[in-house]
Formats: sequence, C-alpha cells, structure tokens
Amino acid sequence: MKIWKKVDKTQQFLCVIILVYIIVVSMRNAQFLTLTTLFNLVRSSAGTTILSMGVLVIMIAGGIDVSFPAVAIFGGYTSLRICMAYGIESLFVTFAISILIGVVLGVVNALLINMLKLEPFIITLSTASVYFGLMTILVGTKNVGASDLPAQFKMLSSAKLITTTNAYGGTIGLSVFIIPVVLCVVATWFLLNKTLIGKGIFAMGCNNEAARRAGFNVNLLRIFIFGYSGVLAGIMGVIYIAGTNSVNPVSLVGTEMSVIACVVIGGAAPQGGYGKIFGTLLGVILYYLFNQTLIYLGLSASWQDFFMGIVLLFSIISTSYQRRLKDRKNFIFTE
Amino acid sequence: MKHKKVLAVLLTVAMAASVAACGGGGSDTNASSDAAENTTDAQADTTGAGDAADASSDTTTDATGGKDAEFTIALCAKTEGIAWFDDMRTGVDEFNADHADVYAYEINPEGSDAAKQNAMLEDLISQGVDAICCVPVDAQAVAATLQKARDAGIVVVTHEASDILGSVDYDLEAFDNDYFGTLYGQYLAEAMGGEGQYYAAVGGLGMTTHMQWFNSMVNYLKENHPNMELVNPDGTPGEDDNNEQTAYDLAVQAIAAYPELKGLVDCAASSNGMALALEEQGRTDIKLVGLATPSQGGAYIKSGTQYRGLCWRPADAGYTACEIAYKILKGEEITEETSFTKEGYETITIDGNLISGNAPLVFTPENVDDYPF
Repeated sequence: MKIWKKVDKTQQFLCVIILVYIIVVSMRNAQFLTLTTLFNLVRSSAGTTILSMGVLVIMIAGGIDVSFPAVAIFGGYTSLRICMAYGIESLFVTFAISILIGVVLGVVNALLINMLKLEPFIITLSTASVYFGLMTILVGTKNVGASDLPAQFKMLSSAKLITTTNAYGGTIGLSVFIIPVVLCVVATWFLLNKTLIGKGIFAMGCNNEAARRAGFNVNLLRIFIFGYSGVLAGIMGVIYIAGTNSVNPVSLVGTEMSVIACVVIGGAAPQGGYGKIFGTLLGVILYYLFNQTLIYLGLSASWQDFFMGIVLLFSIISTSYQRRLKDRKNFIFTE
Repeated sequence: MKHKKVLAVLLTVAMAASVAACGGGGSDTNASSDAAENTTDAQADTTGAGDAADASSDTTTDATGGKDAEFTIALCAKTEGIAWFDDMRTGVDEFNADHADVYAYEINPEGSDAAKQNAMLEDLISQGVDAICCVPVDAQAVAATLQKARDAGIVVVTHEASDILGSVDYDLEAFDNDYFGTLYGQYLAEAMGGEGQYYAAVGGLGMTTHMQWFNSMVNYLKENHPNMELVNPDGTPGEDDNNEQTAYDLAVQAIAAYPELKGLVDCAASSNGMALALEEQGRTDIKLVGLATPSQGGAYIKSGTQYRGLCWRPADAGYTACEIAYKILKGEEITEETSFTKEGYETITIDGNLISGNAPLVFTPENVDDYPF
C-alpha cells in the first residue's frame, strides 16, 4: 500500500475508474479480456503516449504547445519522402531525419516565444498552420500506401516482440512500438526528476520570474523544452506512419486537443508547476480504453467524447481541490 | 527591436511566397509565371495581406491559358495536395486541351478548409468567371456563396453535393448512390457465399453519401441474402473518421467481439486500416469490401486481403462537371438524352437537377495497378 499512498488523489481516482471500467466491459463481453486487446492498446496508443510526454514537460513549465501534430507529421512524412526519393532503407536514418526536423521546428517555437514574449499558445497555434502549410508546399500531402512504403516502415509496422500464433496462422504479438515508448517515458522521467533542468522546468512553471531570479536561464530552458518536445514529435511521426502501414498526412492534424486532454486528465496543472508521468500514462490509457471498447459495449463513437469529457471534468475538479487542501495546510489562502 | 524588424520582413516574405504558391495552383505555365510576377510586386509592397490577396486574384483573371478562350470554367475542389484531386486535375486539364474555346482549370484550398474554399469561390465570383464547378468541403457552408454566384449569372455545377440542389444549376454524381451501396452488398455476399455475420463502418454518421451507401447495402442484403447478419449494435455503423488507425482499431475490436464474424465493410476510403488488421491476424476467412483508392489500398487488394475496392474515377468526374458547365454556357439543354464523353457518363439519369452517371469503379487484383490515384 506504500505505492498507493505515493500517488496523488487524482491518480488514485483514475486507477479506480480504469479498473471499474475494465470489469464492466469484460462482464458485457468476455472477449475483451484477451492479450490481443492489450497488445492492440499498446500499439494504438504508442504515438499518443510519446506526444503526451512532450506536452507534459511543456505544461509543467507553464506553457502549452498545439503545434506538435504538425511537427510530428512534418518530421515523419518528410523523412518518409526523403527515404523514398533516395532509396534509404535504414531505420536509424529515418528516425534521425524526422527527429532533426522535430528539433528545428521545436526550437523555432521557443525562439519565437522568447523573442516576442508572447503566450506559447498563440505562437504555437500560428506555427502549427505555418509548419503544415510549409510541408504542403515543400513536400506535398500525397497519400502513400502500403505498396510504396519503404522497407523499414513495413518492418517497424509488423515487427513484434512476444508473439503467439492464432488459429488462423496470423501472428499476434506485442508491437516493437513499446521500445520507443518506454525509452521516451523513462527519459522524460529522468529529465523531470533527476536533473537540474527538471528542477528548472518545475520552477519556471511555478513562477517564471522567480525561476529567473533564482539563476535559471529561462530562455535557454524554454529552447531545451521545446526542442525536447520536437524530438518526441519526430519519433512519433515515424511511428504514426508505421502504425497504419500507410500515410494520409492530413489525418494527424487536429488531434492535439485529445493529447492535451490526456495530460490534463492525468493531473497536470494547465497553469504549470505540477504534473506526473504516471498520471499522464493513466490519462492516455483511459482515452484508448474508451476508444477501444465501444464495439464491445455496443456504443457509438460519440460516447467516447462524452466519457472523456466527464472524466476530464472530474479530474480537473479533483486536482484543483487537492491543491486547495494543500494550500490551506500551508496557510495559503488565495480565495 | 531589431529582432522584430527581421521577423516582420520574414513574415511578409513568407506571406508573399504562399500567395505565389496558391496562384500557381492554376496548373498551367502562364498562370504560374503571372504568379511569379505578382510575387515580386507583393514583396515590394509590404503593406500586407490585403494587397497580397489582390495579387492572387489578378493572377487568375489574367491567366487564360494562353488561349483566346470564350469561356472560363474554374473547378474548386476540396483540398490541394492529395492524389484524388490531383487526378481530378488531369481530367480538367484534359477538358481544357480538348476544347479550344474554353479555359478550364482547377484550384483547391489547402487542408480541406470550408472557410478557405468559400473565400476562393468569392474570388472567382469577383473575377467574373463564366462557370464554377465545385466539390464542396461542406456543402451547407458553401451553399450561400454558390447561390450568390448564380445570382451574378455564373453557371454553377457541383459534384458530391446532392443535399444543396436548391443552390446549384446541376449536381453531378458519378452514380446513383443507392445503386453504389448495393454494390458493397453484392460483392460482400459474393465473397461470403451469402451467409454469415458482418460488421460495417462509415467515415462518420454525418457523412451523407457514406450513410446512403450503408443503408442501401443493408437493405439489399436483407432482401437478397437473409442469411447474412449485420452485427452492429442497433444497426448503427461504426465511425472511423476517415482515419486508417481508427479503422484498424475498429477491425481488431470487431474481430475479437464477434468470433463468428465473416465480413467487414468500410464505406470510407480508410478501409486499408481494416485490411492491415486482417493481414496481421491472418484472417483470410473474413472478407473485406470497402471504398478504396489504388494508392492507399492497392497492396491489399492485390494480395487479396481486401476482396474488392469500390471507387469512381475523379478525373472523369472533373471532366464531366466541366462538360456540363460548357454545354449550359453553349446554350444546350441537358436532358436524359444528353451524352457525355467519358465512359460511364455516356448515358445519364436526371432527377430534377441531379445528374447521375453510371461510373462506379471496382478494383480487383487484376486492374488495381492501372489507375494513378
């Protein structure tokens, strides 16, 4: 029970919801409780999990980023087209190109914010359009189907770690997507909890001016944070394409709010200074759990929005209530 | 302060460059060279977006494709940069080449943006083109603008917009949508041997044509193949948002939730997501029929994972839309006897001002490589 005490109330609340929901669904349809469901959950949520780590870091630092889907597809799709044009079949190069583009675009975001001293929301809202438009002009948005996809994408799409063969001769297994996901989560955890940069990120989110006076170079920190988020977006871009073994570059745009919702559900404070990796993971799991159980429950897709909205609301209430209790304990009365 | 000046200059240049790129959409060399000229003007004049917009409208007014054309026909489709509307452009260009007295071209907004499409249509009206062909992003959203064009004496022909017939001269459909829906049913029944459970999805419950296809398929199967059972709860189709990942997830769930499942239908062009799920799980016993384009779904149709892909040829639809507008401009009356050039449109049916061809395209492993979209 030590671990249970360690996580905050919002996360406990999410754990309970997830458990109850799983029980309800499996009572409705026993087919739900299979390894296939779990493997598919991991595979489908991989991209969102990686993006959510970037959003979490930026949100803790008191900012918000809505340009990451544009950055991700810019990186992933451009990398794909370069690989197609030059016949590159190295997975390493594919990721490297995508990550490089991600870093550049992320750093541009940070530089604009630093130079103009404007809200990150407004800057990233505009850069999202600029990036996507730029990609459309430079690279185009032509769909690429499974037959034209370079070998490394196909390999990434079908490679599995633990496999079993089903009755039909197909292989069911844990997608290799789990590797980049675990790497990104661990790296983010290390960054936030074990480095001075992490302390700076939390300090910035609590009070930017105080962090600056305490000796943190907030402008440099911001460049680092957005660059890091760009790295994650770059990784996600490649995973996203491999995920469907084809790409329609338009379909990722507009998904930013669901990722942000996952992070907020996980208990991160939108005003900055607070956020937990475990909570964010729970938020992502919940989102995909709702998404992936509609058929088992026999519900239409609008129910997912409904569930998500309700949980988001409760989660925000819970987080702010906890904060108020804590403030009172410390004799801070702001209302 | 220095930074801000640099930034202002950068923004201006970026804006001018993007305007040039939009103008270039006319896809003939004259139009793009005009656009280049206008770009230099726009760069010299840094007053901003208003002038830039003017520059873009100049671009298309001046451009008559180097022809002494009597009529100008502009086709404004949903979005730039995707294979579907690129193929449509080849049809429009072909029409342009076939007719000496017409200058026909295609321009599209970026990113399926209804507001941008409206702005482009407004531009076309003020330029005074003779006819506008439109494939609306959102039919209701452009209805008023199209009506305005007609009030200005411009001929308006739409494609895939049978729900705003009141605001257009004619709407062109590649086929009768109810008939197209029965095709899903026919091929699914053929593949499943006329019995078993099937699960169906559409892009979204609000998508008019998808729902029409779905309903007509279900009715067809009910009447002709009573041993086939739709497993969808309440008979409501699943929604995949035209997104391959969502289609994949739906298929994985449906396969697991209904162990007896033998058929899958996706009325959205993202059916290759479902095919991927079938391929991974080795479920050759489950038959998939879906809307598909060769570039997206070709691999699975060729390998047999997807039994049939249904579609229509965008180039032919674009060509025929221009042809309808052209005939009206020439003062010809359009009746059921009117014959159009492209295959599938030689004979048409007319219901009010809704023109339907008979041009469904069915992809099989043998023919799927023949199409470039």
